[in-house]
Amino acid sequence: MKAYLRNPLTFVWALLTAVIVSSWAWLTALATDVRQATEETFATMGGAAHHLDITITVAVLLAAAVKAQLVIWLFMEVRHAPTWLKATTSGWLVALFGLLLGFYLAGQ
Amino acid sequence: MTEIAQEFSTGPGNTRNIDARRHVPGDPSMWFFVIGDLIIFGVYFVGYMYYRGQYRDMFLQGHAKLNLNIGAVNTVVLVTSSLFVALGTSAARAGKTADALRLFSIALACGAAFPLLKMFEYIPEITAGMTPGTNLFFMYYYVMTGMHLCHVLLGLVILCFVIRSLRGPAKPRISFVETGATYWHMVDIVWLVLFALLYLMR
Amino acid sequence: MTKSVAPASEPATTRSRPWRKSRKLDQWIAFWSVPFFFSVFGLVFIPLSWMMPPRSPSSPQAQIVDFMHSHNLLIACAVLTLAFGLGPVSNAVYLMQIKRMSVSPVFRYTVMMGAITGTIVGMLFPLFCFGLGAFRPGYDPAILAMLYDFGYLAFIGSLGCFCIMWMAFGLAIILDENLILPKWLGYYTVWQYVSELIAAPVWIAKSGPFAWNGLMTFWLAMTLFVSWQFIVYVCIFRAIKNQPDDELENAWLEPEPASTDTLPGTSA
Repeated sequence: MKAYLRNPLTFVWALLTAVIVSSWAWLTALATDVRQATEETFATMGGAAHHLDITITVAVLLAAAVKAQLVIWLFMEVRHAPTWLKATTSGWLVALFGLLLGFYLAGQ
Repeated sequence: MTEIAQEFSTGPGNTRNIDARRHVPGDPSMWFFVIGDLIIFGVYFVGYMYYRGQYRDMFLQGHAKLNLNIGAVNTVVLVTSSLFVALGTSAARAGKTADALRLFSIALACGAAFPLLKMFEYIPEITAGMTPGTNLFFMYYYVMTGMHLCHVLLGLVILCFVIRSLRGPAKPRISFVETGATYWHMVDIVWLVLFALLYLMR
Repeated sequence: MTKSVAPASEPATTRSRPWRKSRKLDQWIAFWSVPFFFSVFGLVFIPLSWMMPPRSPSSPQAQIVDFMHSHNLLIACAVLTLAFGLGPVSNAVYLMQIKRMSVSPVFRYTVMMGAITGTIVGMLFPLFCFGLGAFRPGYDPAILAMLYDFGYLAFIGSLGCFCIMWMAFGLAIILDENLILPKWLGYYTVWQYVSELIAAPVWIAKSGPFAWNGLMTFWLAMTLFVSWQFIVYVCIFRAIKNQPDDELENAWLEPEPASTDTLPGTSA
């Protein structure tokens, strides 16, 4: 049992879960008065409320890309796979998130 | 293909021999399917993002109406299930079939929670009047999550077959276990993107 | 004509047979009916009637009426009525290959029934709908609009039959231990099933990417479908070609399957 807790895969899981839970918690909080405080802080750094949304969304997308890459690389064991498989999966990730970010920013 | 069950020890001190380096987990044709499926979902994702740019307000309102809590719990459920599948796969490879059986069973139990939670999400939404026909956002939402749900159900069936193979009197085929695991991880990845696109975006 | 080849039924001897006497002639006829059929179909649907890419589901009634009474639609329907019967012939190639697989006969029957029901709903219904508009002038515009909807929805929204058909075919390939067709083709066929599911929203949306002429439901589904069609026929071609003669179903038709090709007393 302990061996599983110390397994690197479990560490990856913990990382993924932490990111998910924290983004969940933060966004829920953002729906309430924490939002105003965040907006004010953001404003002092020189950004409009609208830009806060963009920053959050870009961060969300990048986090999703990192999570997906972690699952591909470690859970799916692509790290130990032949080059063509590594290239294809990484290519998919880069192309997808590139397009997603591109269309998102273009639509703003 | 160097996919014959290799009895190398799966500790952190894994011998990095050439064979391990070039190992394609499971059946290569499953990878063909996985990558193709990722591309198909990718077309949906990009289309969604494009139309989101066209109908920003509609989509923003839609985000607000979704159940973020269930969405987040489902994400954790799938990621946890993936963990157990990954652990089970390396246990099976190391020959610890009993461990693998237990790990895959936990993975199956976790995974089975997903469709259940989805029902708790869909049914209130539908009775509240938010159907696929409501607007484009909800059409995308139901189509994408619906397609994903079908993949999850299929994945659960595949996991059952893997468990059966691990349980059976004959020695389990590692290639089959890996193939099933690969499919399941793909389902997880698609959901990670869906979670970000539907629930988290602002 | 070479007769110096050994008299045993080696595959090499089949090369000396004229193609008319090929043991696989039945399969080749079924196979080559496909490009013929598809060319006719393609001609009917695209340049003749401009049915494909699909017209908008939200066209105004006047446009619908014009389309239903158009000359081109008339010709298209006439051609389709005559060529429609080739559908079953070209589907025979799938069934022949499934028969060789190690899977349960259930798969073959499922594909057969799926093809039958699918053809009725997916090809016959539109034929009737558009045919009614083309061959019988004088219907009320509202009725024509309903027929237009009916025809297109039947053509693009007829999912269930084809879903089952392609799922059975795909599963059969994946589970087959005789490796008649390559495994990746089985997975590709599963996407045929997926593309039918993808088309489901056409029943709801009347415009946008999920309508029957939409980006997601039509263009994506068509890309998957057309590419798959080419690939599956290449694979079936190879499978027919590589099938050993003694495994042919029509072996019982030949008088002496193991003897030389020529009949006694004649020369090739």
